[in-house]
Amino acid sequence: MNTKTLLRNALLLAVLAIPLLPFAGDYLLHVLTLIMVYMVLAMGLNVVPGLCGMLDLGFVGFYGVGAYTCGLLTMNYELSLWLILPIAALNGAVWGILRGAPTLRLTGDYFAIVTFGFSELVVLFLTNEIWLTRGPLGLPGIAPASIDLSWLSKAINPEWDWYWEFIGEKPYFYMAFVMVVGVFFMMRRIEDSRIGRAWFAIREDDLAAASAGIDVQIYKVIAYAVSAAIGAVAGSFLARWTMFLSPDMFKFWESFLVLCMIVLGGLGNMTGALLGSVVLIAMGELLREILPRLGMPAETRFIVYGLIMVLIMRFKPSGFLPKIADAALHNPIIVELRRSLKAKGVV
Amino acid sequence: MLEQQLINGLTLGVIYALIAVGYSMVYGVIELINFAHGEIYMFGAFFCATFITAFGLPFFPAMALAMICCACLGVLLDIFAYRPLRRAPRLAPLITAIGMSIFLQNLAMIVWGSRPKPFPQEALPAFFHETALTFSGVQLSWLQLFIFSLTIVLMIGLNLVITRTKTGTAMRALAQNQRAAALMGINVNRIISFTFMIGSSLGAVAGILVSVFYNTMYPTMGYNAGVKAFAAAVLGGIGSVPGAMLGGIVLGVAEALGAGYVSSLYRDGVAYAVLIAVILFRPTGLFGKAVRQKA
Amino acid sequence: MSKRLLTTLVAVLAIALFAGSAFADSVKIAVAAPFTGAAAPYGDNVKAGVQIKVDEINAAGGLGGKTLEVVWMDEQCDPKEAATVAPKIAQDKSILAVVGHVCSSAHLAALPFYVREGVAAISATATNPSISEKNKDRAGKVWSFRNVYRDDFQGIFMARYAKNVLNLPSVAVFYENNDYGIGLKDSFVGEAKKLGLKIAGEEAYIKGAQDFTPQLTKFKATDAKGIFLAGYYGEGALIAAQAKKLGMDVVKMGGDGLDNVDYIKLGATSAENTFLAVPFLEDVASPEAKAFVAKFKDTYKRDADYMSVNAYDAAGMVAEAILKGGADRAKVRDYLAGFTAARPYMGIGGKTVFDAKGDCEKPAFVKTVKDGKFVAAPKQMN
Repeated sequence: MNTKTLLRNALLLAVLAIPLLPFAGDYLLHVLTLIMVYMVLAMGLNVVPGLCGMLDLGFVGFYGVGAYTCGLLTMNYELSLWLILPIAALNGAVWGILRGAPTLRLTGDYFAIVTFGFSELVVLFLTNEIWLTRGPLGLPGIAPASIDLSWLSKAINPEWDWYWEFIGEKPYFYMAFVMVVGVFFMMRRIEDSRIGRAWFAIREDDLAAASAGIDVQIYKVIAYAVSAAIGAVAGSFLARWTMFLSPDMFKFWESFLVLCMIVLGGLGNMTGALLGSVVLIAMGELLREILPRLGMPAETRFIVYGLIMVLIMRFKPSGFLPKIADAALHNPIIVELRRSLKAKGVV
Repeated sequence: MLEQQLINGLTLGVIYALIAVGYSMVYGVIELINFAHGEIYMFGAFFCATFITAFGLPFFPAMALAMICCACLGVLLDIFAYRPLRRAPRLAPLITAIGMSIFLQNLAMIVWGSRPKPFPQEALPAFFHETALTFSGVQLSWLQLFIFSLTIVLMIGLNLVITRTKTGTAMRALAQNQRAAALMGINVNRIISFTFMIGSSLGAVAGILVSVFYNTMYPTMGYNAGVKAFAAAVLGGIGSVPGAMLGGIVLGVAEALGAGYVSSLYRDGVAYAVLIAVILFRPTGLFGKAVRQKA
Repeated sequence: MSKRLLTTLVAVLAIALFAGSAFADSVKIAVAAPFTGAAAPYGDNVKAGVQIKVDEINAAGGLGGKTLEVVWMDEQCDPKEAATVAPKIAQDKSILAVVGHVCSSAHLAALPFYVREGVAAISATATNPSISEKNKDRAGKVWSFRNVYRDDFQGIFMARYAKNVLNLPSVAVFYENNDYGIGLKDSFVGEAKKLGLKIAGEEAYIKGAQDFTPQLTKFKATDAKGIFLAGYYGEGALIAAQAKKLGMDVVKMGGDGLDNVDYIKLGATSAENTFLAVPFLEDVASPEAKAFVAKFKDTYKRDADYMSVNAYDAAGMVAEAILKGGADRAKVRDYLAGFTAARPYMGIGGKTVFDAKGDCEKPAFVKTVKDGKFVAAPKQMN
């Protein structure tokens, strides 16, 4: 084991131990769980702008689709979360493909505005179709997550009842942890696979990718589906965790927040996406605590928040952990070279 | 009723167009989605009202002063948040734009308070709210006429600046190829600042007209307007000034007709549906040129 | 890289260490409301009301010699933020009760934490009927109260007023597409149908909308003689003004959401001829209430609205519960639940009692706008 893996494992263990610490109350666990939800979202969004180079401003739409899929299935059919998760992921992926397939020939900001319009339509649907979603009244009282193994325990011994309901923040903390680790390793595998390499090729130059035999359109659709499915998984977790949903939880500001996380962390870099979620969520909470101590009213929190965001970007234009390929691409020498080639009409 | 709805839509549309032009100009020159533009629009309204109430200025000088202030604000924004990132990856300035938007919105909330404020009506010419025209049951106030004519004048003026002046030519050169423009002796930063000045002062005009027309202004008003204007700019073909004007009007009319004939619940939905449909059939917007670009 | 991650994590941990410091000579309550974001004006109203009450209490020597301290919690009316501040409040055992939240959705998202940890919350503004179904713990104890009408009460009241007092034949309805607007609209329309009052049309709008002319143009083509505004004052004033611009001469009606002096400021002359149901009427108010109104105007340079009045009373109820019930969360709750017909709370908004669900019963009055001022309507209805 080299130092890096050792450090990583130590970190994982440290995170796992947090709920056992004496000062770890509900608030800390809640914030950490929230950070982990955003980690999953950031890793999901990362697929489209980070790995494929398409600017997606409407990621929150899939988050909302997932959350409401889970909320409605729980409230109307009392399905178990473990059954809902794959359904929600599938539903998210379907919507990802439905949104992605017609927009394949769009580039740059035209794609961005369509994704944005899509997420606004999702929110409008959730708000206005009261018969289905209860609209702005929201879905209160969604049952918490639970593990029901009573069928197994009853078969072994009729006395046993293996049934646990997730109450309090601890079980959700661990569940979110498993979710983050699971998604992270899945994405790592995909990144290193043929699919991931195809995505990188598309991001760098889709024309070159196509001439190298990559079916650009198929791989883009796969990217949309994967990204949307991850967003929907995070949404289903949210539904069972907060036990309350309302359409205004999925306003487009959330899309921007997640986008800021991955850009701040280093676009295309998964560890960066994780770091970006930690920074942006923790910053909001830290400011809530620090500003009143400096004698500043609660109203100033977002002034400072916005300013810090600008300053981070100013001094770390490629994010905390820039992806190497990207960094090289923005090396001044290479930039100059590309420009001069472009000017000559070579590229 | 249709005529009335069209007038409603047009009033909304020309205002979107004014904001969208600012977006589009900045985008044309440095390929940046300036999300803080909606905040400039909001500041324009608040500056104008403050000059009237605090310094007792009449409406038109206050408006001119607010335009100047917003032009400076736009330039400062560029210098502080965007200029250091000219060579950074493309999404970096987008994030600073979002950061500045949060910052400016909350700053306005601290300075002017969060509650909606009426525009100081006493400073306005008295005839503004009188009916100017009535035809087939449609009423048009002098204010609406003023909004239409001012917008048209500004747009024509802008077009002249872009096509007939040296600075305008430099702007167009910059939009085509920044490096080549620099080699031709164009001071790139100065032209970019000039673009921010023009775009921001047009945004300020839009903010003032909206707050006069609806008699209300509040610190979060830039948020929705900015988004709509961005949509309008993309609809018209982002980077194209006439496209932004047309995009704004199309979006405004679509919204009014959507609210009037489809369902007011899906008012914005109709606007976005039109937007998506147009882009799917014309992937570079109404007036956009097909340019291969990299994210 | 991992080092940085670690530093950040340590920073997060530091939050927990920061939290939980308390002063022995003070008692704390929390106010959870939106102080930033689009709903900030409502948070501002609530803050103003609570602040006056707290200043009064502390000027008079505090609660049993201890100063009353307020922890302001910004939640932007966002359920996600509300669900973050709720555990922060709940785990700080020195906080005895919560005044908040402002928005129903935020309140619903925060409720599970208050119920689980056992801290009582009084909302001065949240009107969603679902709240009264989700505020009990396993023992059946109610942990969330509100000293604001439920939406259904006001809607029914105003429908009767429109039919029986104003004698309107037909009314068009505008509603904000949120829980408040929908609840108010549904109860108004339901009662109107029972009474035989014709509903000429229903149109929705979203918060922050500025242009209502398309919907008004539709209404103009009907025989509506009145508009029921199921929403808040900002948009309500714009609707009134734009109706006038379109040449519509109609009676405007609404609930407590319209009750803010900004309605008149923004609507100018078009605000005249508006009737609204309010829990509080200055003309028939107690001397304490009149003193509050004067003090509010002096401090904030504007007229108090129902939100500030309710918030003032909510803070008053919590303070009384701490003083008389005891400085303990469970005792505070029990004392609050004890505000019944036998022992009502006498606030500036009149006599307030809670029912078994934590909802309140209060008298209702009708206000109107005359010469740029809110005055009592010439005809009340009882």
